[in-house]
Amino acid sequence: MQSVPIKIDRTWFSTFQNCMNQDSGWATWEQFQLAIEAAEAQTITDFSELSCLRYITDFTPLPHQIKTAQRVINEMRGRAILADEVGLGKTIEAGLVFKEYMDRGLVQNALILVPSSLVLQWTRELNQKFRIPAVAQKKAWMWDKHNILVASLDTAKRDPHREKVLAKHFDLLIVDEAHKLKNRRTKNWQFVNEIRKKYCLLLTATPVQNNLDELYNLVTLLKPGHLGRPSNFQSTYVSDKRTPKNEKELRAEIERVMIRNRRSDGQIAFTKRHVHTVPIQLSKEERQLYDGITQFIRHRYQSGPGSVKNMLSLIILQREVCSSRDAAFLTLFKLFQRNEQGKKQLSPEVEHLVQLLRNVKTNSKIEKAISLIKEIKEKVILFTEYRATQEMILRALAAEGIPAVPFRGGFQRNKKDWMMEIFQKRAQVMVATEAGGEGINLQFCRHIINYDMPWNPMRIEQRIGRVHRLGQKHDVNIYNFSTQDTIEEYILSLLHEKIDMFRMVIGEMETILERLNMKESIERNLMKIVLEAKDDEEIKERFSEFGSMVQEIKDRPNEKFRSQDVL
Amino acid sequence: MDAIRVHRFAERYFSANDCQIIERSPHHLKVKLSVKVDKELINRPFYWMYVEKMNLQPNPTTLNLISKPEKAPEGFNGEFLSFGTPRFRQILQSAINQGRFIRLYEDKTPETNNPNNSSPYTPWFGVNYKLSYICDQKKDELLSLGINLYDGQIKSNFYPQIKQRIWTPKIPAHRHIIRPRFQLIECLGKLENFIEEHIKKQDSTWAREAKKRLDQELKQVSLYYPEGESETGTEAEKKQRIQEIYWQYHPRIEVDIINAGLFYLDPR
Repeated sequence: MQSVPIKIDRTWFSTFQNCMNQDSGWATWEQFQLAIEAAEAQTITDFSELSCLRYITDFTPLPHQIKTAQRVINEMRGRAILADEVGLGKTIEAGLVFKEYMDRGLVQNALILVPSSLVLQWTRELNQKFRIPAVAQKKAWMWDKHNILVASLDTAKRDPHREKVLAKHFDLLIVDEAHKLKNRRTKNWQFVNEIRKKYCLLLTATPVQNNLDELYNLVTLLKPGHLGRPSNFQSTYVSDKRTPKNEKELRAEIERVMIRNRRSDGQIAFTKRHVHTVPIQLSKEERQLYDGITQFIRHRYQSGPGSVKNMLSLIILQREVCSSRDAAFLTLFKLFQRNEQGKKQLSPEVEHLVQLLRNVKTNSKIEKAISLIKEIKEKVILFTEYRATQEMILRALAAEGIPAVPFRGGFQRNKKDWMMEIFQKRAQVMVATEAGGEGINLQFCRHIINYDMPWNPMRIEQRIGRVHRLGQKHDVNIYNFSTQDTIEEYILSLLHEKIDMFRMVIGEMETILERLNMKESIERNLMKIVLEAKDDEEIKERFSEFGSMVQEIKDRPNEKFRSQDVL
Repeated sequence: MDAIRVHRFAERYFSANDCQIIERSPHHLKVKLSVKVDKELINRPFYWMYVEKMNLQPNPTTLNLISKPEKAPEGFNGEFLSFGTPRFRQILQSAINQGRFIRLYEDKTPETNNPNNSSPYTPWFGVNYKLSYICDQKKDELLSLGINLYDGQIKSNFYPQIKQRIWTPKIPAHRHIIRPRFQLIECLGKLENFIEEHIKKQDSTWAREAKKRLDQELKQVSLYYPEGESETGTEAEKKQRIQEIYWQYHPRIEVDIINAGLFYLDPR
């Protein structure tokens, strides 16, 4: 073919002639042969094969991940939006594409822009899973020193980093959590648009949250003009902000630049979840304490002009009583320290609560937990919201001779890894106060005890997500402790019976809360309901109303959000 | 390459490059590097600068390598060596660096024992080329060519044909070289012509397709950023995007060599 330019390197020839003239510098026959064998080993004689799979030995990519990487390379030509639902392995897909380009010499330098909380995790995954020598960007001088950098988008877009980034060419740019680029008027969007790049991968589980412009802006970052000019796009594909028209054509255009794997596609096998509610009956003394605190809270709320914040902390107290005496004690102690300081004697109200607290000698919940753990016999991860409860549980397990490890969000990375390893190898139980970041994978465990319940469904999802994820080979059992006739029972019945939260796929709740505009405020809203209610009946009623609202969005996606239909 | 071949290659590489193998099994290696290999595998230029400036006794690194962790001896701590690891990549790269140019004589006893007779060698110039076909994707092709410096004949698959022969780096007694009729540089030109002809015979669909994609994208860009209008972006932005498109799709072929050598073949 005439038009393909050929560049033949000849720079070596003078060196060769030097060897001849000086009769030195020759290699041995063995060295010569080794060089040829090395070159043969690195040669890839086919354009489209995903040859990097040969080098990936530390894990096995799933079929949908391999297929996605192949499509990105062979059909989308290295510029794509990876929009899998949460938990299907977008990072793996991006890693496969990256590795393949690197092995072929098509990518030598690359930039990965992520939220700052994910910088280390990305760096670690690229190094460990793909053996790509990525470095976490920390200082400005590092831009000139390293070829493969993982950096926080918020840092990189600011000087002095911005200038350095824009002065470079990147063979590959990856942006994680790319929904942060949905608005083209933002600094984020403009910055990424300005970066000089050959290949580009945008990763997001929610390419469209509200309106179609968001999708347009993402696609435009990859390929300006792919969806036409803004005005064409509006007139061709948008009937109103949230409703597409010419849907079929639009979907076809989008499929050329975006891949979205879904759990419901069927090709991805997830095991089942079994949800068990474990009712707990309070002893007489425990019941008296709970009632005492409930009365105390109602009384305070009705009598006092307290700030909402203070009031909400009272609800926390009520939740803590359901968790353990220890947790409640600490909060009560602090509360009294603040309110009763300077007084010679405790107010009779408080005196009464302290007395009730002292009376409690049994702990119904931990007894149940221990017998359940003994019954299960396998590894169990037990979640609680409170540090004091965590410590109490660890003591109780130790007294029973059940090996257990603690886990907290505040642990250093090494300590987290270490605790996970001990849990895997030696302990039966992990007692955790927090689900931990994405890097916490506990697929070897298939029993979760929710000792008490977070009121934020996203946090429940995170708990489950640690265990019920790709790679889990068994069905997962979830045991929810429910202290009867307390707010714990009401909240659980809302989450479990009304919303069916525990059977929802990961990511679904997020979408629902976003639509309700409650992603940040759900917990507060629920606590307010409890606070404002006259009695338990009203709490149940209002929880039930809230549940119906969620159910409605879940079952019948609102007309208003038709924009997501194009995905 | 599987674990066994990786291991065997590494072992041969270290031996061929003057490293001292201290301990070995089919699954692990303990090796004291030579200075040359240390410089290529262990990134510590300042150390070498210091040693050489101060004229100190160099102390090259000892590497512990394991190609099959489950079979390595108990208590042997080392780095895992597999095809995908950065270390093995370095080894491959270094092997290529170290085996570039060669001059060899075929080691074959002449037919006659008459000490007054001298048998001739035919001079060949062998070059191992790597052709890379590049657009947004890439494939490679290895081409081993040899050219007879006496009559200009070109052979493809040259290396496989001479691989089994026995070689020596010094010209043996009672042998002489047939005087080349072609200069080396001339022959290089002939080889390059041969490569161009070879490329012409290849299927070029890939390049046409890439060109099509390139034109398509350029068209899209010119529609997106019309002349003298800035609703969608500036001239600079448009120019950058056009550069990116060429960078990504532009079909081209790059020809590099792996290594080359002069081979004096016994004509029989």
